[in-house]
Amino acid sequence: MGILEVKNLIVSIQSLYKKVNILRNISFSIGKNEVVSLVGESGSGKTFTALSIMKLLPQAAKIETGEILIDGENIIEKDEKKMVKIRGEKVSMIFQEPSSHLNPVFTIGNQMVECVKGNLTKGEKKEKVIEILKEVELPEYIFYQYPHQLSGGMQQRVMIGMAIINKPSLLIADEPTTALDVSTSFRIINLLKKLISTHKISVIFITHDISLAVNFSDKIYVMYAGEIVEKSPSKKLINSPLHPYSEKLIACLPEKYKKREKIKTIEGTVPDFSSLPSGCAFHPRCPYKKEICEKFLPEEIKIGESYVRCFRYGKITKNN
Amino acid sequence: MINFLNRLRKKNIFSFIALIIIFFLYIFSFLADFISPYPFDKQFREYSLCPPTKIHFIDKSGKFHIRPFVYGIRIINSSVGKYREDKDKIYPIKFFVRGNKRKILGLFPSNFYLFGTEGDGKIFLFGTDIQGRDVFSRVLYGSRISLSIGLIGVSISFILGLFFGSISGYFGGKVDNILMRLVEIIMMFPSFYLLLALRAAFPTDLSTVQIYFLIVVILSLIGWASLARIIRGMVLSIKEEEFILAAKSLGISTFRIITKHIIPNTFSYTITAITLSIPGYILGESALSLIGLGIQEPYPSWGNMLSVSVGNLRILTSAPWMLLPGFFIFLTIICFNFLGDGLRDITDPSLNTGY
Repeated sequence: MGILEVKNLIVSIQSLYKKVNILRNISFSIGKNEVVSLVGESGSGKTFTALSIMKLLPQAAKIETGEILIDGENIIEKDEKKMVKIRGEKVSMIFQEPSSHLNPVFTIGNQMVECVKGNLTKGEKKEKVIEILKEVELPEYIFYQYPHQLSGGMQQRVMIGMAIINKPSLLIADEPTTALDVSTSFRIINLLKKLISTHKISVIFITHDISLAVNFSDKIYVMYAGEIVEKSPSKKLINSPLHPYSEKLIACLPEKYKKREKIKTIEGTVPDFSSLPSGCAFHPRCPYKKEICEKFLPEEIKIGESYVRCFRYGKITKNN
Repeated sequence: MINFLNRLRKKNIFSFIALIIIFFLYIFSFLADFISPYPFDKQFREYSLCPPTKIHFIDKSGKFHIRPFVYGIRIINSSVGKYREDKDKIYPIKFFVRGNKRKILGLFPSNFYLFGTEGDGKIFLFGTDIQGRDVFSRVLYGSRISLSIGLIGVSISFILGLFFGSISGYFGGKVDNILMRLVEIIMMFPSFYLLLALRAAFPTDLSTVQIYFLIVVILSLIGWASLARIIRGMVLSIKEEEFILAAKSLGISTFRIITKHIIPNTFSYTITAITLSIPGYILGESALSLIGLGIQEPYPSWGNMLSVSVGNLRILTSAPWMLLPGFFIFLTIICFNFLGDGLRDITDPSLNTGY
């Protein structure tokens, strides 16, 4: 059994006029020491998936149905007190913009000591923090500095250090390198790789960047309009994508183009959740659109090691 | 502590100086019994409105004295406040002179005074008031009331305001609704009429100082409401900050998030607000004296000493030393303001650019 299992998760958000489902029937699992990337355009529900796993959804959002099992325990039933124990010890999260995720009024050391769980004395906690600082390749004096005195890369290292200090089994990395420049982001990725192999952590890696996801992760889950449309091993996804959306995303990678050649984009935009198209949500932008796509929602079909939701590979099984 | 003082000195030298002045003001008020040469209610009827006594080193024959001395005071017409120095009588100023026995801080009986003269010599450093009481001694005793009242009032209202404000802002929903309605009810109390009612309600056997302390406590029990609203507003915005989400995702408990991440982030406002509202209490006390709720004679406070002199034109023109309590009010207020400024600078580290 995997570290994390999500079954039929539906999350809705209450807007002023009506309730809309922003995550629709999400199911996936993550095994031990496995690195999975969630990719997709902005607004496809990647961050919401992560926040549901942490049970830190904003107040307007609500988990309608589904199960989220962490180490076999369903966290949807847990109250806030028990969640506090799970967060940090079993799952923890790093974020996109490290500068705004550190409290500006305390020193790094002060905040990191705060994160250490368990019955330790102050001195022991400090020792542990310094050990972790070494592990994320930061000098010891960082302990006494304030967040604004560090560069973006150092801040992200601090965040990573805080996230792994209690040795969680699952780490959710929500676009950890988006705010950083290319060389820093490479160093951060290498650091993450090193930590994953030394601590045997499973990772959910959320990113826009497919080539980075391929390089970093074992599996890639492609999300579109609150659904996982394809789950494939990384190599397979980049070489032979199944879903038309994955195909289009990969076609947009700039590395594939010659100099000065115009880069293709996917026409249209991610649909508004309050007025999702009928049937398959991708059909208005899909080049392989059939009549059936407008009427019915495709089921998940297994093809080799991959799973895909598309009528190109199977029949209708469910009414919309 | 040393580190803190150093940072304050580097950041804002004025606020460092202000802190030192405030420190000495509090030391003086603490040791008022010992430093003041006379008790606050000791009257020298014949020396009404006597100007400040001059301290001399050279006598009329040009001889230099190592020990400073004062001349005796010859009364010309005490009803209009005319006095001359009697240069024939020399009273040297002595330290640790013996005088009447009294209890220092109400605990240690002693008959030593920090300084004074022996025999018939009088030393009025800040002159005397209409009843012939030494203004210097009264300023010292008055500082006890004026300096402590602000701290008491501020600490009660800020503890309550921070507590309820942060709870209401953080939890939102029903808790917020109930607490904010409570705050509105409290804010509805007309404080002026409440004061009048309290005046009538208090038992008559309480001393004026006790009554005044009670009134300040009651006022600050009402005063927290508006503060709680401001804190709530700040918490509402701070709790949406991303570092709060990050802290939650790292498994930090709600209590620690409020005390550690949210309240310290309101300090840039609260510390300034605290230091700015202390002067409000000092000034408010003098206003309260007008409706008979402040400190009553013969007990001195800076407020009531000042109100006596401001209400009398003759004093304003002929005895300006009676305005000295006003100078001390001014000094305290400006020092607290500077201190607040400096504290805000160092509690918000993102303003630190000097590293």
